Amino acid sequence: MTGATVTARRSVSAMLAPAAHLALQQQLYYEARLLDEERFRDWLALLAEDIRYRMPITSRRFRKDRGAPPAVGAGFTFDETLPRLRLRVDRLESGFVWAEDPRNHVRRLVGNVEIWQGPGPDEAEAYSVLTIHRSRIDGEERHIVAGRSDIWREVGGVWLLAKRDIALDHSIVPDSNLNVFF
Amino acid sequence: MHGLSDLVLPAAGRQRRAIYSDPQVYAQEMERIFGRCWLFLAHESQLPNPGDFIRTFMGEDEVLVIRQADHGIKAFLNTCTHRGNRLCRADRGNARAFACNYHGWAFGIDGTLAAVPLEKEVYFCEIDKARHHLVPVEKVAAYKGLVFGCFDPHAPSLDDYLGDARWYLDVALDAMPGGMALVGTTQKVAMSTNWKLPVENVSGDGYHLGWAHAGAMKAVQSLDFSGFAVGNTGVNLEGGMSVAGLNGHSVLATLDGKSGYSFYPDPREALAYLAENRARVVERLGAFRGEKLWGSNINFTIFPNLQVLTGLNWLRIYQPRGPGRIEQWTWAVVEQAMPDALKQQILENQTLTFGPAGLFDNDDGDNLASCTEQSRGWRTGQMEVYTHMALGHSGPRPGLPGDIAMGIISEHNQRHFYRRWHEHITAASWADVPRYNVNGLDDQAAGAAGVSAA
Repeated sequence: MTGATVTARRSVSAMLAPAAHLALQQQLYYEARLLDEERFRDWLALLAEDIRYRMPITSRRFRKDRGAPPAVGAGFTFDETLPRLRLRVDRLESGFVWAEDPRNHVRRLVGNVEIWQGPGPDEAEAYSVLTIHRSRIDGEERHIVAGRSDIWREVGGVWLLAKRDIALDHSIVPDSNLNVFF
Repeated sequence: MHGLSDLVLPAAGRQRRAIYSDPQVYAQEMERIFGRCWLFLAHESQLPNPGDFIRTFMGEDEVLVIRQADHGIKAFLNTCTHRGNRLCRADRGNARAFACNYHGWAFGIDGTLAAVPLEKEVYFCEIDKARHHLVPVEKVAAYKGLVFGCFDPHAPSLDDYLGDARWYLDVALDAMPGGMALVGTTQKVAMSTNWKLPVENVSGDGYHLGWAHAGAMKAVQSLDFSGFAVGNTGVNLEGGMSVAGLNGHSVLATLDGKSGYSFYPDPREALAYLAENRARVVERLGAFRGEKLWGSNINFTIFPNLQVLTGLNWLRIYQPRGPGRIEQWTWAVVEQAMPDALKQQILENQTLTFGPAGLFDNDDGDNLASCTEQSRGWRTGQMEVYTHMALGHSGPRPGLPGDIAMGIISEHNQRHFYRRWHEHITAASWADVPRYNVNGLDDQAAGAAGVSAA
């Protein structure tokens, strides 16, 4: 058995205590429901002050590509701090985002949830797959699929999202706006 | 089929809606516009080393743009000359050669067919490999870093095609030593719109800013990260101009020399860069371009589907995918001379404002899609749409090429965009396409030497 294979094994001791595990799993579903219901201020309350919320822009490159990486990085579709996320919520709640009025049907499905002990003592890693279904005017529907790697931090008995890396699984963003949070 | 000549009434500022959805009109566009015009392929900064390549499109034709061993740039149709498979399936990268996935025919970065598997055994060494090199794009040329390709061997030179638009473009491409560069990777978004609608929107539609983007405007202006009074640089946006009449290209510009950065959460670093280098740019480009244009918000439109915005700092092409679909490709734009920290900040701000989840960009898609849909009906297809705002309120200005309307709110540039579209769509070949630079620099030099810009 190779070293890499052994390292890939996750020990039982890497799990959270059952109550903490369940609470965080619930939190992922609760978070999705808050966003589906457009309770954006409530969602902001689940975020840690130092949150980094990012979705990198990717391109299709050969596995053996020898090209240099872009000079100042590839860029991010979302590269958010808490003030930036508040700014996005301010925009959505301004009453002037015409694409969201009438309200669109938006539903999230969170799956493949894995929860492990995190880097810090009060932290947990959570991995999940997110599907967002959007039904907009007439027959216009979109399915957006992304993988998420999170760090959640327990503060005073509440799980707060401290870091989220979002991998958007589309070569071309399939919708003309991303007025949604992942 | 409509008569092509009555689809657009340029002098009246009217267009038949069918131009946004009629498949036959679209087929004509592929032949007479995308098959004829110089189309943006890449910026040289994206291909620094031999073997660097980008996969892009000219209309619906897929093209590989490759930096050569001699540092020239070539472009080829991205299709294997054997059975027609797509040759390269990566977006960009660096390669020594390209092998087709189907049977393994391998092509060098110069397009030559280098190897055919089992050449001896099954082709009996009778294949003439020289007849099966990749098919090159007829013309490839660059203007100060912007690389264009053209399928039409009878097209004018790139310099003639760009005409006096170059005088304005130099503000983006040649204000500082080292010129412009693209940063970040390609931001691709699929949109349900006809390709002309986003082009003309950005070419001249200052009218929609306050309304379509009201939510973002309100939110951004509430932003105060660092105590800097935002809203943002305290400039008066009323001073601006819409410049058209330059072979279909256009410029929409504010004239304060700093408002390009007015949507930045914290524009201080950008403003410091402008202040530090202003004298140098004035020296290179003269007083008008150096003081009034450099740093301003400027939308450059190069017909048919390229846009460069300074200040907001993005470059965008719209790849048509049928009458009602496009892929919108965007990159962030910097000047090579900028410090890395500012380049980084520009990339961050560009994606925040006009990226795939851009606070502003996300407002436009549904409007453009709906304009497209509202051209498909039996009745709506017969209707017209209007770009007649400020019709007749334009003219020459001494020292500045083009037909110029004052302010950034007019439909002057859109009107000229459709005029150019109409000139191409009704012309059988380049011989029938008029070329003009209203109030051109050559004419000005000949007729009114010494008159300086206001």
